[in-house]
Amino acid sequence: MSSRSRVLPLVSFALVTVALAIQPISSQSPRFYPDDPIGRDDDMALDASKVVPIEDSNGYDFVANTFANPGVRHDIRAQNVNTVDEVPDSSWFVNRIGHRPMSTAEIVRGPDRLESISLDGWKVSGGKSSGLQAGFRMTDPAGQIYQIEFDPPSNPEMATGAEMIGTAFYHAFGYHTVEVYIAELDPSKLEIADNARINDPLIGERRRLTRRDVEDVFRRSARLPNGRYRVLASRFAEGAPLGNFRYYGTRPDDPNDIVAHEDRRELRGARVFGAWLNHDDSRGVNSLDMLQTEGARRYVKHYMFDFGSIMGSGTVYAQRHRAGNEYIVEWAPGWLTLATLGLYTRDWMHIEYPRVPQSVGRFEANSFDPAKWRPEYPNPAFENMRADDAFWAARIVAKFSEADIRAVVEKARYSDPRATEYIVETLVERRKRVLDTWLTGISPLVDFALSRDGQLTFANAAVEASVATAAGSYRLKWSRFDNATGPAGAAVEATSLEPRAVAPAELLAGSQFVQVEIASLHPQHTTWATPVTVQFRRQADGWALVGVTRLK
Amino acid sequence: MGLLLAGPALAAAQDAAPATREEVLAQTRREKQTSLTPYRSNALERGMRLAEEHAIPILGRDGFYWKGGSLTTGSGFTYAGGWRNRRLFDRQGAVDFWAGRSLKGYWKVEGRFDVGDPVNGRLVAGAYANHYSYPEEWFFGLGPDSSRDNATSFHLTNTIVGGRAGVRPTRMLTVGGGVEYSTPEVGPGHNRRLPPIDERFDESVAPGLFRSLNFVRTNAFFEFDYREPRNARQGGWYRMVASRYDESTDTHSFSRFDADLRQYASILAERRVLALRLAASTSTPANDGRIPFYLMPTLGGHDSLRGFHDYRFRGPHAILAQAEYRFEVWSGLDAALFYDAGKVATERNDLNFKNLETDYGFGFRFNTDNGTILRIDAGFGSGEGKHLYIVFGDVF
Repeated sequence: MSSRSRVLPLVSFALVTVALAIQPISSQSPRFYPDDPIGRDDDMALDASKVVPIEDSNGYDFVANTFANPGVRHDIRAQNVNTVDEVPDSSWFVNRIGHRPMSTAEIVRGPDRLESISLDGWKVSGGKSSGLQAGFRMTDPAGQIYQIEFDPPSNPEMATGAEMIGTAFYHAFGYHTVEVYIAELDPSKLEIADNARINDPLIGERRRLTRRDVEDVFRRSARLPNGRYRVLASRFAEGAPLGNFRYYGTRPDDPNDIVAHEDRRELRGARVFGAWLNHDDSRGVNSLDMLQTEGARRYVKHYMFDFGSIMGSGTVYAQRHRAGNEYIVEWAPGWLTLATLGLYTRDWMHIEYPRVPQSVGRFEANSFDPAKWRPEYPNPAFENMRADDAFWAARIVAKFSEADIRAVVEKARYSDPRATEYIVETLVERRKRVLDTWLTGISPLVDFALSRDGQLTFANAAVEASVATAAGSYRLKWSRFDNATGPAGAAVEATSLEPRAVAPAELLAGSQFVQVEIASLHPQHTTWATPVTVQFRRQADGWALVGVTRLK
Repeated sequence: MGLLLAGPALAAAQDAAPATREEVLAQTRREKQTSLTPYRSNALERGMRLAEEHAIPILGRDGFYWKGGSLTTGSGFTYAGGWRNRRLFDRQGAVDFWAGRSLKGYWKVEGRFDVGDPVNGRLVAGAYANHYSYPEEWFFGLGPDSSRDNATSFHLTNTIVGGRAGVRPTRMLTVGGGVEYSTPEVGPGHNRRLPPIDERFDESVAPGLFRSLNFVRTNAFFEFDYREPRNARQGGWYRMVASRYDESTDTHSFSRFDADLRQYASILAERRVLALRLAASTSTPANDGRIPFYLMPTLGGHDSLRGFHDYRFRGPHAILAQAEYRFEVWSGLDAALFYDAGKVATERNDLNFKNLETDYGFGFRFNTDNGTILRIDAGFGSGEGKHLYIVFGDVF
């Protein structure tokens, strides 16, 4: 990290802190604006056409994140949540299954515009520019470019299946992803475009792509019994490529990018999704920024991509034992191993993986501890994840039914039904552990509503997900709320045995805002006693939820 | 509250007070727009980009290139440059010419031509020619009883022209053979700390000394490799070579058989590896002739008896057993404890496991899936001092 990039986030954080500190004194800025809570953050409004690409290399991303601690590590609330603790739609994220019902078919379809594709009439138009996976580029008859990737011979269907599953899930979570399709490629029908070029590492230049190059790719790929190749076709995203985003800092040349990435909730919460799906490759270089043009607007759109290394797939080999369990470099266990001449062993070395089809790779749930899950190396946003970020993401995970999960896995079209069955079972079990860990780690009260006549109702997301029993009782603390200064006047305390209560009439009378702090008392979940703070605003037809704070 | 509330409050204090959250955010963005700066990479980023995009790729490129390493055991670090083209016959053929010189004054020039892959990668063939000069080779005498105090040095030069061919009927098995013509010559060594070989030894105890000999070597080999992965943690690698050295005057002709068996077993997710090696070499003179000492197998040094000096033992027959316990410290770094045992013999009957020279030690291996890049071994227990080796590549 340069001193500049280290200093900038610190300065930003200091400014935010100062702003917070001066807020009550200025009393000019209301806690809630009339349009709160916003559902959309228009971070595509200003012209970003001067943004330049940032292309991090694998080596730099590893070194910077492993040894240089980029970004700011701190225990503060995510900086891009709205006043009800949710993530507004933006160029980063679009609320999908977290906010609205999605049919199984819609989840499975993901970002894809087409039901399926056939590669007949397509031409090889270039070599693959990066990545370990064997492949090349093809262009369809309409001129659209796709990246074509193959499975390794040792693990047929593994990497392509992982890509299909990962893309569908990440799209449903709410991230921008590119369209992906599974298709069969007949090598005897393959045509190479006259202008197809490839980077030749032997000469360090681009040259014409030949049949020999294509055969090299085939040689490194799993072949189907019918002589064809199963491939993954990824549609190139629209716009001009800008390289990758980073899980820390902001782009200094993008006026729309005002929240440090390590403090974006959808990036912090990606740790939960990564743990569920074992996306150990959750790192900056597996992201994509595109300069999009919409009418006169040019803005940066942020994509998650490259899911070839999720679940049991290591893309070109079965996932390593360490993957998901330990960073590539984790000092303490390494020193312990050295000091004891190898007698000290890491827990992950003892995991026994069942015998499963090779298309599964190395994936299991029995030893999975979501809180201990690790990507390949430290991710600043993941490191900043707090219980409220994790809860937000876990709620999204909870939305997937077993039928949804099965349907997504079936999209991978594994030829061996045992592979489908095993992955479904494993994902279901891992989902349960994710919810056990992160849906119960903080007060899971949700869906707050205050009726016109003062009836407060709420639900419990952990109970709804069947990972906890309801709290034995609830302690409520009602108060008026001044939109400039916060809670005002004497508080009224009450207790309820049910997830409902009646607001004190005297507090509601004449109030524009009312606040209630709700502590849930549960013998097994003591953290639930930390109250959720909720604010309602009076509207013509009753009360509208305007504020939710789970963790200060 | 998050930045959507708190951050814009700062902007709000500086600008006209916004009336909505949307305005707060818009103001903050407009504020940033006035102070946009182009992205500037830091020194680490620039350095790594330079290395990854330019420096490292250049090492693998065709055309003129350079490389470092060693020419032979004990040569010291070598810098070399060459020219190569691996794109012949639609990338099924390659030529490579290079020359290198070590810090100790060893040098070598070589030209190679290889063709491979014409039949689904199952056939390989090649031809080569080289000339080298190794001016500080060590010689302690022949047999197991040679004394370290008798260390001398000799200068070995040689010119070799040969060819080889092999076939891989399966992914793991390779069989083949080759023929080569060589003209080795031995002269006094140039190591200033050691007496030249002729001060302590003559032709009776160092056969071939100061003679100009020409050899035609024919050989056949068998290799079975089922290591997984190439940086072996499971499986085995077995190689056997039968060679015949026909000397032009037939006074130094001989045949030789070498076997090298390596076995790997691992536990704990392959992070603990037991690596075993058993190697043996035996030679038979033809027509009661003598085997040139410089063509005899040697023990001692970074790849055999690591507690001993390079080339410490030399004889017509040799046996070597090695065991390593390797344990992964971090991804890409293994530590190892090792034990070596072996001996040379002047008679084949003595090729057994009695009276072996032994040593032990520890080391580190910086590796990838494809093999060890750099190895550091420290050998002890020989009674002849401690030895530290820093070597590119694995021991076995």
